[in-house]
Amino acid sequence: MPPLISSAIILRHVDYGEADRIVTVLTPDHGRLKGFARGARRSRKRFGTALEPFAEVRLHWVPRPGGELVSLREAELVSLRTGLRRDLETLALAGYGCELTEALFDEAVGFAEAFGLLRAFLDHLDAAGASAGARLLMELRLLTLAGIVPHLQHCAECHGALPEGPVGFDAGRGGSLCPGCGGAAAGLRVDRLTLGSLGRLLQTPLERFADIRLSPRTLQEGGALLADALRGHLPKPLKSAAFLAGL
Amino acid sequence: MLDSIPSFARLVAELAKFPGVGTKTATRLAFYLLRQPDAAAAALATAIVDLKRNTRFCSVCFHITEQDPCPLCVDPARDGSLLCVVEEPQAVLAIERSRSFRGRYHVLHGALSPLDGIGPEELRIAPLLDRLKAGEISEVLVATNFTVEGDATALYLARLIQPLGIRTTRLAYGIPMGSELEYVDEATVQRAVQGRREL
Ligand SMILES: [Zn+2]
Ligand SMILES: [Zn+2]
Repeated sequence: MPPLISSAIILRHVDYGEADRIVTVLTPDHGRLKGFARGARRSRKRFGTALEPFAEVRLHWVPRPGGELVSLREAELVSLRTGLRRDLETLALAGYGCELTEALFDEAVGFAEAFGLLRAFLDHLDAAGASAGARLLMELRLLTLAGIVPHLQHCAECHGALPEGPVGFDAGRGGSLCPGCGGAAAGLRVDRLTLGSLGRLLQTPLERFADIRLSPRTLQEGGALLADALRGHLPKPLKSAAFLAGL
Repeated sequence: MLDSIPSFARLVAELAKFPGVGTKTATRLAFYLLRQPDAAAAALATAIVDLKRNTRFCSVCFHITEQDPCPLCVDPARDGSLLCVVEEPQAVLAIERSRSFRGRYHVLHGALSPLDGIGPEELRIAPLLDRLKAGEISEVLVATNFTVEGDATALYLARLIQPLGIRTTRLAYGIPMGSELEYVDEATVQRAVQGRREL
C-alpha cells in the first residue's frame, strides 16, 4: 500500500523502548493521528529532526488495519520553528496551544480549521514570542471552532441586553448574565466593554495574530472569562497550563 | 505452551520487560540461558542483585556510584570550578567517553517538560543551587539534550544561574536538534564541549 501524505504538526512524542517513538500529530484532513516511528530515537537517518514537537512536516504514513496507531514512513521537514525556543514562556505557550487544541478536538470535526489556527498560532509565537494577547486569541478562537464559545454580548438565559459597566459571567450557565437573571451573584464580574472587545475579536480572521492590540483590562478580564469557559470543557486540567502558571 | 514450564515462563516474562525486548527476543534469551552452565547463570543473577544492592546516587552530584561521594566528586585532578549539568547518568558516561571535560558533574534526573507538566521541583535543581552558592564554581556548562525538554531546562537554568554571576554555557557545535547525548558519537560530543557558547 503506498503511503498517504499529509501536512502535519507534531504535537508531542513519547519514547518507546530503546529506539522507537510514538508521535502524536494534527493533520488537516485526518485529524489527530498517533504514529509509530520505528528507530526514530536512536537513528536520525529517516526522520532527522522532523519529529520534534511544534515542527511542521509532510508526513508519509500508512494506516494499520484495526489499530489506533498508524505507521510513520517518512517526515519531510517544512518548518522546525526554532524561534519557539527563544525563552521559556514562548516554549510553554506553544506547548499549551498544542495541548489545548488536542483536548478540544479529540474526536470532533473541523480539523482543517483547527490545523490552520494552530499553524498560525505557532508561526506567530515563532516570529514574535509569547504574549498574553496571543494566548487570549488562541483560547477564544479554539472555543469558537469547537462550537462552545459562551454568550458574550447578550444574557445567556433571557437573551436580553446587558447593562453598562460590570456584568456577571458564569460559563456553567452559558456566559454573561443580566441583573434580572441573577448576574450580580455570578462568580465573575466582567465589564461590558471587555465583552464588546471579545465580540469584535470573534470577527477577526482566524489566522491573524499580528497587530491585534488588546487593553490590559481586556487581557485580564477576558483571560479570566476564557479560563472559566475552558474549565467546563476540559476533562482534566492541562499540564502545560500548570507549567505556564508556575513560570 | 509456556504454562507447562512455569520457571521458563517466569524468566521470559521478566526479560520481556526490558526496553526494546518483546516476547520473541525474551524467549530466545531464555533458551540461551538454559544452555549456559550453572555458574554463568548464577554470575548473571548475582550481578543483577549486586547492582541493586551496591549502587546508589551520589549525595553531591546524583550520578550513580558505589561509594559516596562518587569518584568523580572526590578526584583531586578534576577542576572544581567547572560544573557540567546533565539530565541523566547516561549523559555523564557519554561526556566521559569523549574525554573532553575535566570538571565535575550534576545530574538533574530529568528535564523540564511544559507538555508533561514536569516542573523544576521534580528535578535535582535545589541541590544544584546549593552547590553554586557554596562559591567554588565559576562556570556551569549546561549539557541537557537538544530536545524541547532539554532546551526548556537550559533556558530555566540560565535564568536561575546568571544572577549569581556565574558564567553559563551550553554545548554547541554540530549536535543536531532533537538529539539525546546518549546517542551522539564521541567526536561530536568532544567538539560540542570545546565549542560551547554563552547561554
Ligand atoms: Zn437575563
Ligand atoms: Zn558525585
